[in-house]
Amino acid sequence: MNAVLSPFASLRLTLVGMVLLAIGAAMSYGNPETTSVWVLVVPMAFLAINLLAAIITNPRINRRGGLLTFHIALLGVVILAAIGRLTHLEAHVELVQDTAFSADELFDDSRGPWHASDLDKLVFVQGPYTVDYAPGMVRGLTHSEVRVPDGQGGWERRVVGDDRPLVLEGYRFYTSFNKGFAPLLTWMPEQGEPQTGVVHMPAYPLFEFKQDNTWKPPGGPEIKFWLRLETGMTEKAAWILDGQKAKGTLVVNSGAERVELQPGETVNLPGGQLRYERLSTWMGYKIFYDPTLQWLFVTAVFGVLGMSVHFWRKFGARMPAAAAADTLKAGNYSATSKGRAI
Amino acid sequence: MNEWNTATELPWLWAGMASYALATFIVIRGVVLTRGGAAGAAVNRGYETPAFIFILAGVALLAMALAERWIRIGHGPFVNLFELLMSQLFSLGVIYSFAYWRYPAIRASAVVALPLMWILGVWVLMLEPSATAFPPTYYNNWLWAHVGLGKFFLGFCLVGTGLAGALLLRGVPRLEPWFRQLPSDAMVDHLAWRFMLLAFIFHSAMLIAGAVWAQDAWGRYWSWDALETSSFLTWLALGGAIHARLTYRLPMRAGAIFIIVVFIIAFLTYFGTPFYSSAAHKGVI
Ligand code: HEM
Repeated sequence: MNAVLSPFASLRLTLVGMVLLAIGAAMSYGNPETTSVWVLVVPMAFLAINLLAAIITNPRINRRGGLLTFHIALLGVVILAAIGRLTHLEAHVELVQDTAFSADELFDDSRGPWHASDLDKLVFVQGPYTVDYAPGMVRGLTHSEVRVPDGQGGWERRVVGDDRPLVLEGYRFYTSFNKGFAPLLTWMPEQGEPQTGVVHMPAYPLFEFKQDNTWKPPGGPEIKFWLRLETGMTEKAAWILDGQKAKGTLVVNSGAERVELQPGETVNLPGGQLRYERLSTWMGYKIFYDPTLQWLFVTAVFGVLGMSVHFWRKFGARMPAAAAADTLKAGNYSATSKGRAI
Repeated sequence: MNEWNTATELPWLWAGMASYALATFIVIRGVVLTRGGAAGAAVNRGYETPAFIFILAGVALLAMALAERWIRIGHGPFVNLFELLMSQLFSLGVIYSFAYWRYPAIRASAVVALPLMWILGVWVLMLEPSATAFPPTYYNNWLWAHVGLGKFFLGFCLVGTGLAGALLLRGVPRLEPWFRQLPSDAMVDHLAWRFMLLAFIFHSAMLIAGAVWAQDAWGRYWSWDALETSSFLTWLALGGAIHARLTYRLPMRAGAIFIIVVFIIAFLTYFGTPFYSSAAHKGVI
């Protein structure tokens, strides 16, 4: 079998594979749309076959435990990364305060062909959030409150943000710069049931100058909303964006009519009455799912440990005798001097 | 914002650089004085201790500069290029002085390694010491692991490159006497690759720590951003160089050139990336 495999195990092929992988990596810089994932997959598959053949046939690698561990870990990382791409999910969602996560609201999502979605099982409710800003409008830490079932019929409060994602069933929810306000409104039509919902305003403070949106009530003409916010936002000093403390005046335009509403106030419009209940907020999350993460980490750490053992065995022993003699001759100091272990 | 006047760390930085400058001068003068005589004749080693003292003094002064700045702006030297250069100058000094002390046989190669540090030195002296806000994604302990491991990588790479450079310079007949103190070419080559393999281990570990941090901070462990692409290429280049040496039994000088190429790629990764990417890592925004 070795005779069959040996040509595949050539270390010259390894160098070819490495050059191809370097080209693929350079082409992948910035994930351009025009670059196919095959520029990475082909060299990696090529290297994997080459490495597997070398592991089977080459005693220079398969008889040295540490080196072997490192190379097997390399194979492992490539295989796990591939499984990760096939099963992954990446998506975004924007959740209004006091509403539960719903898998139907995902957008910009990409998922691997083997992704078996468990998103429907996820339960959590968005709470309020705060974001620290340093002078010059530099965004600092985000604290986003969520409520998750505590397993005993109640809710458990958790604060997530920046480096602390919310992890549910392997799905990781990361807060993002994308967050804003959402006035809560009740529409009471002349006939029929009242309905309550939010008007989702653009991200804040990114689109601070453009807090507007429209809504068309059933049976009535389109209403234009503009939200005038008081959040304490300032360029010069540090401030905290806190939806609980923010005040928002809702400017309502319907046809020729223009009214300013404070929370709790109502206006009569063609087709019904509109009440501005209160100012609410929304938080944008990035969702990431990859079941291989922990395995990738463990495998890669084993690889580094393996290479360290290899290094230790290879160099930990005393330096070659000839070289030692050489050093002494050149250095003019005795073997007991501090410089013994070259 | 002009921060030249408020940056109280600058005198320490300048003093530290002056100390490195003296060490560099002493080393160059020291090896240049080794002239004439046959190979193996007594060599001038009198410069070694004074040079070592000045490197150590430079490290201590840079530590003061870093501490002063840390207190002044309230966060560690992780964000802008001025800070990165300053902290690299410190950590390269620590690692290089350790190698210099522990392996007396390599000391003459400081004539290559110390001037390499001067690329960073001149650069940092030209930059405004402005403070940049600390991004929220940097409040993460993996940052420390990632940055720390990277410093070991670059430090060992510097020692290896110093030796590789000495090996090449030694081939020039006029310069050969400078390196009489170094062991044989075979030993220099062996030592240089030993440091490069150590650098490889730290680079691999740095990539892992960086991936964990990226997963926490940006919700993805790898996405081919400027630094990720560049550091992957550095890792591959070093792995490739190690392989090429074993596969083709490269002549020592060719191996030394490989080491220098890896160092250049690593250098561009660390200090060149800011020029073609608006933010070193995305979290800066
Ligand atoms: C994918 C195909 C690969 C094969 C077939 C392969 C094979 C080998 C073999 C046979 C050795 C032992 C050489 C000797 O001591 O004579 C070795 C060593 C080594 N390989 Fe690989 N390898 C592969 C990929 C890689 C990659 C991608 C890297 C990292 C970028 C890497 C890094 C190393 C290192 C650092 C050594 C240690 C050399 C030393 O002890 O000085 N290898 N490899």
